[in-house]
Amino acid sequence: MEGLFFNVNGGYVEGIVRGYRNSLLSGQNYSNLTQCETIDDVKLQLAPSYGDFLASLPPNPSTSDLASRMTDKLVAEFKYLFAQATGSSAKFLEYMTYGYMIDNIALLITGTLHERDTRELLERCHPLGWFETLPVLCVATNIEELYNSVLIETPLAAYFKGSLSHQDLDELNIEIVRNTLYKNYLEDFYNFINTHPDFSGTPTQDVMAEVLQFEADRRSINITLNSFGTELTKLERRKLYPEFGKLYPEGSLMLSRAEDVEGVALAVSAVADYKAFFDAVGLSQGSSGLGGMGGGPADGKSLEDMFYQKEMDLSKLVFTRQFTPAVVYAWMKLKEQEIRNVTWISECIAQNQKERIGNFISVF
Amino acid sequence: MSGAVGREAVFPTRQSLGLMKNKLKGAEIGHSLLKRKSEALTKRFRDITRRIDEAKQKMGRVMQIAAFSLAEVTYAVGGDIGYQIQESAKQARFRVRAKQENVSGVLLPTFESYTQEGVNDFGLTGLGKGGQQIQRCRETYARAVETLVELASLQTAFLILDEVIKVVNRRVNAIEHVIIPRTENTIKYINSELDELDREEFYRLKKVSGKKQRDVAAADAEILAARQKAAEEQAANPKAPAATAVPVQEEETVDVLGEQEDNDVIF
Repeated sequence: MEGLFFNVNGGYVEGIVRGYRNSLLSGQNYSNLTQCETIDDVKLQLAPSYGDFLASLPPNPSTSDLASRMTDKLVAEFKYLFAQATGSSAKFLEYMTYGYMIDNIALLITGTLHERDTRELLERCHPLGWFETLPVLCVATNIEELYNSVLIETPLAAYFKGSLSHQDLDELNIEIVRNTLYKNYLEDFYNFINTHPDFSGTPTQDVMAEVLQFEADRRSINITLNSFGTELTKLERRKLYPEFGKLYPEGSLMLSRAEDVEGVALAVSAVADYKAFFDAVGLSQGSSGLGGMGGGPADGKSLEDMFYQKEMDLSKLVFTRQFTPAVVYAWMKLKEQEIRNVTWISECIAQNQKERIGNFISVF
Repeated sequence: MSGAVGREAVFPTRQSLGLMKNKLKGAEIGHSLLKRKSEALTKRFRDITRRIDEAKQKMGRVMQIAAFSLAEVTYAVGGDIGYQIQESAKQARFRVRAKQENVSGVLLPTFESYTQEGVNDFGLTGLGKGGQQIQRCRETYARAVETLVELASLQTAFLILDEVIKVVNRRVNAIEHVIIPRTENTIKYINSELDELDREEFYRLKKVSGKKQRDVAAADAEILAARQKAAEEQAANPKAPAATAVPVQEEETVDVLGEQEDNDVIF
């Protein structure tokens, strides 16, 4: 049934995204990229997918320039999709940008706290997290003003409400603010795709629920692992876990009590996927393998790599479903991973560290 | 030799000869001391050069690893974290203490790095993702900065020592090739002048005594002649007493150092 009228509104967008998907770099492209000797070669190899955006780069561009041009292309494509989407699909795409908005707002809050000229911060903001009232944030000169008159007007106001007061903005570490917002955002997004009449009971709900659950679990696990050895208390830590996902509620509770990597491994052991990750990187035996990509264990994969790999697999699976805007989400994730991959490869080439060049995640 | 370095403008007197001899002795002691200092400094200098070489090579390796760990962070976090870290840093965790080291009288600054425990301004950065990479990157960069501090301390010592060694060597050379020869020349000159004076004096005395002898001889001859004449007169005129001879004798033996009035003595 859901397929009957989907194409009336969402067909064009979905078609475009499936077209975009075909321009993603394949394993063949990646193996060509790893053979490159200079950044110019990389640029040449990327020409079929990114030609017009890379053309204006000077010879031997820096890695960050390359990455920012690739991001420009992603942004341009997404904006086109956003302009074409209507109704609930548009709302869905808007939700996707909230994540970037959180980063931008965290950036601006940091700037305001340190009384910097926020205008110059606007250039650093991620273009996807741009919203109309973002420049207004620059007007605020102190945190209270920012909270009372400016943040209320942003689309993120709902995420501030009830969990963060303006005193919190002043006192709490900006990372805690960011993660609280992100938690609220994920919960809201999850709620949106489960309850919105256009999405509940459709493939969108199926795939997005899985993707978001994974995202929530990943954040919980990462926050726990990264909080060891910092001043973050267990109580505060628990508040940052999104309240859904495969780990919720038992796993989250165990995570909040975990004191070391073994505790985390134990907490996630209920979920086969995560248990497999922890076993693969050897974290369940000892904490020595925390290193990750550096002196990493096993095949050089860190837990982060495993999570990225899993995210990519999920995103790839999304393309097997039809009549859903979830493909846009999946395409975004794939594209971001692709940019990270290319950045990694070009860093390796630029710094002459060829032995680790294969440490990227190729999907197709 | 004397033309190249010349001599000092002194009056060739015995006093200045004594001064010059002292000066020469002082210069020789100073020369040997400075020479030893220069050798000590040069030894140190070579040591530092070698350590700079090592530190630079180490820096190359460490900086490469550090830059790469930053690339890892970029990959894991998927964005730029630079701004956030710059803003959240309030206190220096890595600090440098400056000390002084004394190498043969040269004060060399040395920098000693230490980490202020308990200062951890970006402990929560990357909480959502990439935290481990960020921590590792921070440690790598801390090591890189340590190497840089070590290198900075060596380079400063290198520059200062270089300068000091140049000055000391210049002094050693100046003493060896200018001051000592010049003093020796001066001593030689004073000696020769003094000898010359001695000889002149001797000649003068000789001349004076020669003249005196001649005068004495002439006077003797006169007296002799007078005596003969008197004897002849006595022989011719025995009445006359020998009194004439006696005053002449008295005239001759006048005491020069005596207490009598002298015409040309003014006081």
